Amino acid sequence: MQILIVEDEASLMESMVSYLELEGFRCEQASDYHTAVCVLDKHDYICMLIDLNLPGGDGMKLVKLARENQSESGIIIISARNTIEQRVEGLDAGADDYLVKPFHLSELVARVYSVARRTRMKGGEVLSFGVISILPEEHTCFVGQQQVDLTRKELDMLMFLMANRNRVVTKESIADYLWGEYGGGYGSYDFIYTHLKNLRRKLQDAGSPDYVQNIYGIGYKFSLDKSL
Amino acid sequence: MKLLTKSTLLIATLSLFLFFIMGVIFFQVLKSISISDLNRELCDLKEVVEDYLEIYEGAQIEALTGIDSLSVEPVGRTVHTGEVFGDTLMQTMKDDQFRTYRYIQFITEKGERSYLVKIYKSTTPADKLVERVTLMMTLMVILFLAGIFILNRFIFANLWGDFFEAIEKLKQFETSKKPVILGEQDIQEFDEFKQVIEVMTRRLAEDYRELKEYTDHTTHELQTPLAVIKSKTELLIQSENLGAEEMKCLQAINTSVHQLSRLNSTLTLITRIENRQFTEKEEISLTGLLERHLDLLQEHIGLRKINVEKQYRDEGKVLFMDQGLADLLIANLLKNAIIHNIEGGTIVLETRPESLVIRNDGPPLGFSQEELFTRFVRDARRTGNFGLGLSLVKKVCENYGFKIEYSFDKQQHTFTVTLPD
Repeated sequence: MQILIVEDEASLMESMVSYLELEGFRCEQASDYHTAVCVLDKHDYICMLIDLNLPGGDGMKLVKLARENQSESGIIIISARNTIEQRVEGLDAGADDYLVKPFHLSELVARVYSVARRTRMKGGEVLSFGVISILPEEHTCFVGQQQVDLTRKELDMLMFLMANRNRVVTKESIADYLWGEYGGGYGSYDFIYTHLKNLRRKLQDAGSPDYVQNIYGIGYKFSLDKSL
Repeated sequence: MKLLTKSTLLIATLSLFLFFIMGVIFFQVLKSISISDLNRELCDLKEVVEDYLEIYEGAQIEALTGIDSLSVEPVGRTVHTGEVFGDTLMQTMKDDQFRTYRYIQFITEKGERSYLVKIYKSTTPADKLVERVTLMMTLMVILFLAGIFILNRFIFANLWGDFFEAIEKLKQFETSKKPVILGEQDIQEFDEFKQVIEVMTRRLAEDYRELKEYTDHTTHELQTPLAVIKSKTELLIQSENLGAEEMKCLQAINTSVHQLSRLNSTLTLITRIENRQFTEKEEISLTGLLERHLDLLQEHIGLRKINVEKQYRDEGKVLFMDQGLADLLIANLLKNAIIHNIEGGTIVLETRPESLVIRNDGPPLGFSQEELFTRFVRDARRTGNFGLGLSLVKKVCENYGFKIEYSFDKQQHTFTVTLPD
């Protein structure tokens, strides 16, 4: 579970590393273009996070190079540039995803999982958490043996919470991950509460314990042990 | 009024006025010359007549050449009165018509007797001459005016050509933002004009570029520290030793960072629209666009129990614009209609062949209608928004020459976007 992070801002690198390491990933760090090129072949990375503005070289070139070297790895561009042209250019260069700074770490983790699933496991694996299991490819969810009928948004939300298990995820990050630009600025995040309420009800109706904890109004925590 | 029309009109009025005065003076002078000529002739005739009278009796005098009519009357001895000139109408013998005659009247003495002599001379030839000359003059004036008119056009096209070229280039400056460089010319004033324009546009272009770079850099540079704050807060939230108070603080930080980064990206977007950096154009179905956004916004619509009424009068309406900007336009209009709506209110979406109308229920504006599309103007009753949405909408409309209008009636806000084909 190696991840390569190429980012020149030390503080941000630190945050990403500590969040991802908590998740069980091992991180290879590179803060400039040349270091990045050197460590490109060092491991068989599950995912590479590449900033576009790098000292010593163009991040876009690094993306192309990385794509040539490790065709099985997922590549996520993390950049402050948020134009459609840039996104298209990045995806054309071989990136699997494009995350705009500033981003939520929880969103980063969810995307890393999602990209890794697509490139590595070819979507064939089963995600499980307690009694809940999800087949991402078939968009189906089970509690034990019983299939639970979830909407697309509810399933995405569940997968997001599972990716960030045992973590506090903020309402903003859920809104940003699931609704993108349509999440914020509407005065309240109550719609997330509504969706989450439906999700919890459906899971509990199927016999699952309630894994969701409300954390002081700031967000939610998805964990096996609710007392944590 | 065009410069050419204006100058032609000015020249025409001025020269007509001048020609009129000149004509009057000319006519008067000509007239007086002809009269004094006649008077001199009559004086000459008077001497001839006086000489004749010495020799002949009055009756034979009338045969003298150069005299149209002559009358000699004996008068009593009177005081010598000298000669008197005058004009009179007389019937001619030839065609019985009245014509004007100039006459001289004097008293001459022959021996003991005095005679009153009147010599008449027709003014018709002189009048005719004056008339002809005047006519010629008028004709010349007309010809002159026509000449001036044509000449003016010619000179205009020649002299002012550079000026018009400069105007054309200045018009393009708005879109290209490149300094306007105009070639050399031999007219000193225009050369100065061109230099001034060149210096001015060069500075404008420079300012513009610097501002663009500045905005670009600041927004970009701001995102990185924001990313750091955001990630650190998120890490901090994970800490197990935090109580409710600390969490509250963290949430406040979190929310503010979120707002700041949204504000930053929105401002960047506005700048990019203003800089006309969206040049791609594609065909976009208006109803398709509306439906897609309604779908994306269904959570927000559902949450406030808003009823959406669709009145698609023109299902096939197609917009020809950048996809991103089209999304921005519709998303912000719909967002506006949602957040300023009332609980359980209505949104009416109406597509017409030439416009899109979005109506929503809601209380009246908390500020003046003129400020609606200005940046950072927002309803004080609501927090969490910057008042940039409608200013974005306005920018997009300006970018494509759409017209957007707002009205408020019966507790309903109406936005009409006129979409030319």
